[in-house]
Amino acid sequence: MVKEIERAGIPVVHMCTVTPISMTVGANRIIPAIAIPHPLGNPALTPADEKKLRRRLVEKALKALTTEVDGQTIFKD
Amino acid sequence: MKLELGKILIHDICFAEKSEIRDGVLYVSKEELEKIVMQEEGIQSVSFDIAKPGESVRITPVKDVIEPRVKVEGPGGIFPGMVAGVETVGSGKTYALKGMAVVTAGPIVGFQEGVIDMTGPGAEYTPFSKTLNLVMVCTPVPGLEAHDYESAVRLSGFRVAAALGELARELQPDETVVYECSDLKESFEKYPGLPRVAYVQMLQSQGLLHDTYVYGVDAKKILPTLLYPTEVMDGAIVSGNCVSACDKNPTYIHENNSVVEDLFAQHGKTLNFVGQIVTNENVYLADKERSSNQTAKLCRMLGLDGVIVSQEGFGNPDTDLIMNCKKIEAEGIKTVIITDEYAGRDGKSQSLADADVAADAVVTGGNANELVILPKLDKVIGTLAYINKIAGANAETLREDGSLAVELQVITGATNETGFGRLSAR
Repeated sequence: MVKEIERAGIPVVHMCTVTPISMTVGANRIIPAIAIPHPLGNPALTPADEKKLRRRLVEKALKALTTEVDGQTIFKD
Repeated sequence: MKLELGKILIHDICFAEKSEIRDGVLYVSKEELEKIVMQEEGIQSVSFDIAKPGESVRITPVKDVIEPRVKVEGPGGIFPGMVAGVETVGSGKTYALKGMAVVTAGPIVGFQEGVIDMTGPGAEYTPFSKTLNLVMVCTPVPGLEAHDYESAVRLSGFRVAAALGELARELQPDETVVYECSDLKESFEKYPGLPRVAYVQMLQSQGLLHDTYVYGVDAKKILPTLLYPTEVMDGAIVSGNCVSACDKNPTYIHENNSVVEDLFAQHGKTLNFVGQIVTNENVYLADKERSSNQTAKLCRMLGLDGVIVSQEGFGNPDTDLIMNCKKIEAEGIKTVIITDEYAGRDGKSQSLADADVAADAVVTGGNANELVILPKLDKVIGTLAYINKIAGANAETLREDGSLAVELQVITGATNETGFGRLSAR
């Protein structure tokens, strides 16, 4: 899906836990997520802390979306 | 470390007043076994049934398959850390009841468990159509959480298997096989010219009922560690999972690991079987990286020439597999990986979720997506109530004539990645 949407000229951020698979399938902007059963959340946190975590991940993704990349990039921070 | 494995051949199973083994027949008292199962507070009731090879019987939902064993000499007991103490096992003398298995069944979550057919095309795919199966179907007390139900059924299965094994304690085995492996220094001196080979076994440890236990420790919490390969023959590794049953290792397969068996057969002849490394398949990327780093480190420390890696499961564990392969190869150690494939029903899709050029020697256990039609069988042990939800089935699986249209995925052990099944490719 990532590749097809990009082929249509729209940049994509792939948020995923297993970034090596994302690299293998050819995503260009990759954000490491939390864990396979809960990529964008963490049930171990309090609801308030989890909301902060989720906001941070979305903001990071939006920043990655507007960042020029030279080939496949994992946005670690 | 030397283990004598005595095989008690079981030719038949019958229900009787008293549990005993006489002339190769296992007599089972339902009352005696029921008492053992009812030790678990979470279980409300249990029913026992017998399924024999060739009978028109379908068992589902299957949770685990266990071979009864008993420790006759040497430290510890069978299934250490589960239903025995935590002494290091794998030495002395152990008896196994061959030709039979305890099968635990019951809808723990319904969609994760497997199917065993005792006849027809389904029987060709599961190794457990060839064993005399004592099936126990456990019903939980109302309101019991799935994970507590899983634990109760798991432990009762081991207790029942250990109790049946105990019946063989005073018997004379029909045959005995001796497995012996030396410590590192001795083995390097003894076989100076032979390639040093280890077995890296990846254990399913994704949580949410996809777990495996090593001496009672949840494998997701271990750092990769080293075992004498005889330890698994005493039940040092046990199953707590069965999701997509085709490529998960029931406890029976841990007790009878084909890779261990075959490496022992070559030990001292074409290679020096140095040991077994167990590692996990966790759901955090850092865990995957840490475990594969540590696995490669152990391989280097052991001064290996070659490694066989077996996977358990598919999907994201493909990444653990490829990380292990790449990192071990990067140490200059040759690897062969054993996996299975999810290549679509036509077999034309990419087989694994991850890949690397270092993975240039691969053995497959078959394509789990392959569609098979399993005809209606006369008797069902367990229930068909979940058959359309089981992984590898769909809403149209149960057809009007009672047959099942399913992917191989649903069949317990069909594409096993330790080579225990019957499928492969050249």
